[in-house]
Amino acid sequence: MDCKELRDLVSELWGGDLPAEAREHLSKCAGCGVFLRDARLVRAGLRALAEEAVPEASLGFASRMVRRLQEWEEKGARSEFFETVGRRFVYATLGLTLALLLSLALPTSGPVRGVAGADFLGFESHNQVSQADVIGGDFGDSHDLIPGGPTE
Amino acid sequence: MARSESEVSHEVECIRRVQRGDSEAFGPLVERYQQRIFSILFHLVRRRDEVEDLAQEVFFKAFRAIRSYNFQSSFATWLSRIAVNHCYDYLRKVRASRLSYYSEMTEEGARELERKAESPPSRGLDHGEKVTLRDFVGRLMARAPEDDRLILTLKELEDYSVEEIADLLKLKPSTVKVRLHRARKRMVADLERWRQEG
Repeated sequence: MDCKELRDLVSELWGGDLPAEAREHLSKCAGCGVFLRDARLVRAGLRALAEEAVPEASLGFASRMVRRLQEWEEKGARSEFFETVGRRFVYATLGLTLALLLSLALPTSGPVRGVAGADFLGFESHNQVSQADVIGGDFGDSHDLIPGGPTE
Repeated sequence: MARSESEVSHEVECIRRVQRGDSEAFGPLVERYQQRIFSILFHLVRRRDEVEDLAQEVFFKAFRAIRSYNFQSSFATWLSRIAVNHCYDYLRKVRASRLSYYSEMTEEGARELERKAESPPSRGLDHGEKVTLRDFVGRLMARAPEDDRLILTLKELEDYSVEEIADLLKLKPSTVKVRLHRARKRMVADLERWRQEG
């Protein structure tokens, strides 16, 4: 039996009787003797730890626990309600804001939208031409837009 | 300790009531298992002042998870598993902030340990010796890796059988045995290392 085998055996038996082979090794190996003593010491220490008085629950621990759980449940239900309502409120506000922005961004009539779009994109506006035709006037300052952008 | 049939059926009834939303029925379950949970927590954490707070957290977790309890294992095992897992997380958190217990040990304490190592306590220990030894081994335990500490606590301090530990930790009994031997061996080796450092 070598040192590793002996130490494995001591850890496994943990206080049980060691076989003759192990005792023979111990008689020749001081290091394993120390290991065995330390193992006994640790075992005795663990026993002492096990015997130590465990703290007891304070009086009314269970009822306090139940009361706290009930409070938690009520609080949880309340916060869930507010969370749901709050979330709906945020969605509704966002929806309304978006609708308002869209209504401001989009013009109320079609032809104006055409001009605005053309100005921005730099294309000739057919809408404006047709509008001038409808009115019957010749506007010298009318936009004469060509692809590529305004030229002066 | 074996329980009567009526006790078991009362427990089952309480569990079912809590699962249906009756939090009042959780009270008898807390009362029944509080000491078991306190014991596990104390032996694992070894901080008297924190045991009750930790126990509250364990019962709170159990209450929140009780709908998932399906009566496959005993309620005691299920609850103990929650306590063990909670402690495991706790120990991992405090490990970073823990001081070296070796460096905390006084010279007098170290000499005492030496003396005891030279004369194994086979004759039995008096109260003072027990306290000293408990302190030393408590420090060794506090220094041990969480897995070692857990398995040693359940076996050596809580006196669980290998099969019960296997059930609790969801491991094979053979794995528990191997881990237990290794944990013991590491602890003894750690004591030896401490002696050399000292």
